[in-house]
Amino acid sequence: MAQTQVSAGQQPHTRGRKLSTRYRSLSRYWFVAPALAFISLTMIYPIVSNLRMSVYDVNVSTFLSDSAPFVGLGNYIRVLTDPAFQRAFSHSIVFTVGSLFFQFVIGFALALLFNRRFPGNGLLRALLLLGWMLPTVVSGSIFRWMFDGSIGIINYAMQSLGLLDSPRFWLTDPNTALIGTIIANIWVGIPFNMILLLPGLQSISLSLYEAASIDGASGRQSFRHVTLPLMRPVILSVLLLGIIYTFKVFDIIYVMTGGGPVDATTTLPLYVYQLAFSFFRFGDGSAAAILLLLVLSVVAVIYLRLSQREEAES
Amino acid sequence: MSMLHRLRRSGWGWTLLAAVLVLVYLFPVYWMAATSLKTNTGIYASPPQIFPWPPMFSSYYDAVINNPLTLRSIFNSAVVGIGTMLLTLLLAAPAAYALARLELRIGPLLLLLLLITQLLPAIVIATPLFVAFSRIQLLNSYPALILADTTFSLPFAVIVLRPFFLTVPRELEAAAKIDGCNQFDAFWRVILPLVRPGLITVAVFAFLMGWGEFLFAMTLTTNEAVQPATAALNKFIGQYGTEWNKLMAVATTIALPIIVLFASLQRYIVSGLTAGSVKE
Repeated sequence: MAQTQVSAGQQPHTRGRKLSTRYRSLSRYWFVAPALAFISLTMIYPIVSNLRMSVYDVNVSTFLSDSAPFVGLGNYIRVLTDPAFQRAFSHSIVFTVGSLFFQFVIGFALALLFNRRFPGNGLLRALLLLGWMLPTVVSGSIFRWMFDGSIGIINYAMQSLGLLDSPRFWLTDPNTALIGTIIANIWVGIPFNMILLLPGLQSISLSLYEAASIDGASGRQSFRHVTLPLMRPVILSVLLLGIIYTFKVFDIIYVMTGGGPVDATTTLPLYVYQLAFSFFRFGDGSAAAILLLLVLSVVAVIYLRLSQREEAES
Repeated sequence: MSMLHRLRRSGWGWTLLAAVLVLVYLFPVYWMAATSLKTNTGIYASPPQIFPWPPMFSSYYDAVINNPLTLRSIFNSAVVGIGTMLLTLLLAAPAAYALARLELRIGPLLLLLLLITQLLPAIVIATPLFVAFSRIQLLNSYPALILADTTFSLPFAVIVLRPFFLTVPRELEAAAKIDGCNQFDAFWRVILPLVRPGLITVAVFAFLMGWGEFLFAMTLTTNEAVQPATAALNKFIGQYGTEWNKLMAVATTIALPIIVLFASLQRYIVSGLTAGSVKE
């Protein structure tokens, strides 16, 4: 609140209206004060707390008493040299790239379809969003069931189509478990990509396509030379946002595999979870959380810059 | 060929294509519901029963209606969802209004903080909240979950609501002030009723976010008396093992409010998704 009082006091005011102006400019801050206080409690405090815990040896015996010894960068060194951390990091990259590529391509194709006018467009588009609205625990358990090795529908379908000779235990086989979680996550992310790309497509003026077709451009050519260049800022922000949102996915993986078999599907968020809540190594967990944040903040800074520039332009 | 041509021209051809794609896409949701209506032997049938007929509700009796733990967890989710909804509205509505209309110096900073919050992984917040809540003995309580869940619904709500406040004519505020309303009265009596559609969108989303939240549910509660249905469903996976019909009955029950809200408030939800998933 100190900051709000200073800035309110700095405002110039004439003598007669001094009191009421000051009262008013101060009272305006009451509109944001609760939200600001809340954000400090649930967002700023946790980050600061993670930073603090990451340099202390906070574990199951010290976390309640606040008596953990200072260890400097010890936790960070332990985490960075942990082969499990390195594996989690590469799982995160595979998971993010694999999910995002297909989510984006399929989402873009659907956005192109729904950009056309046809009867029932709104209703069908809304139905598509249902996949994204379901609690991720629900979608995770559906996919866990569909991927079931003995009676799952995916094995049955693939065997009927001759794509598989014998049933495959997708989620308990270290070679396929990550692919299973990626497929589930693609399913969840398709509507999200579609719904963010569609407004971009809708904002492209039809006259540009008309002009292109008068110049003899084919459908593919006008996609390449009209749609893609004009969609560039939207595509970029959807991809950046997609990277961040996919990198932090936890629920779906946890419900489908719990990070296993062994650690075949342990991505960074699951790794942090295990350190803190399975081993109660809060210090190490916080160090890993800060490393996760560092990775994300690189992408986030680019994204926030981009969206601020767009806002300034509009 | 000519029929195909006619289909294309009228646009119904695209409808057909889109409908097929949507049906394919929604198959997992259908499969959840279909599985929940099968018996223990029905789920082992080969080839699988695509249409479980007659539908059997035994899984619902066993895993939901006659299972006090499931019922309790659903009640808990409702409490957390409604609590998250109320707290979100209480914090977001004034903040969004201030960001839209009152030129505050800290406005841009608040907006930036909210955007950053939206990008944070939940696990980064869960560990410190677990430690802090254990110290003040707030673990295993509704407020713990409501506070944690609002972390992510608040940014969403402010970002969705702000454009709604921008559309309110300034003259109305001025008129309210001339009539002797102070700033809070004007906000409460004149402006809020005008942004009702936005408030409904935000309320629905905040409820759904609280209802479906998982990581906080799992880390901040262990006691079945307050544990939400999402955490309960995860426990059932271990407990019911391969009784997928029961598991899907619980999953369908958790999904049902979303489907109902979706069907009845579709217009608010679709606009909200478009506006609030990122920025405006």
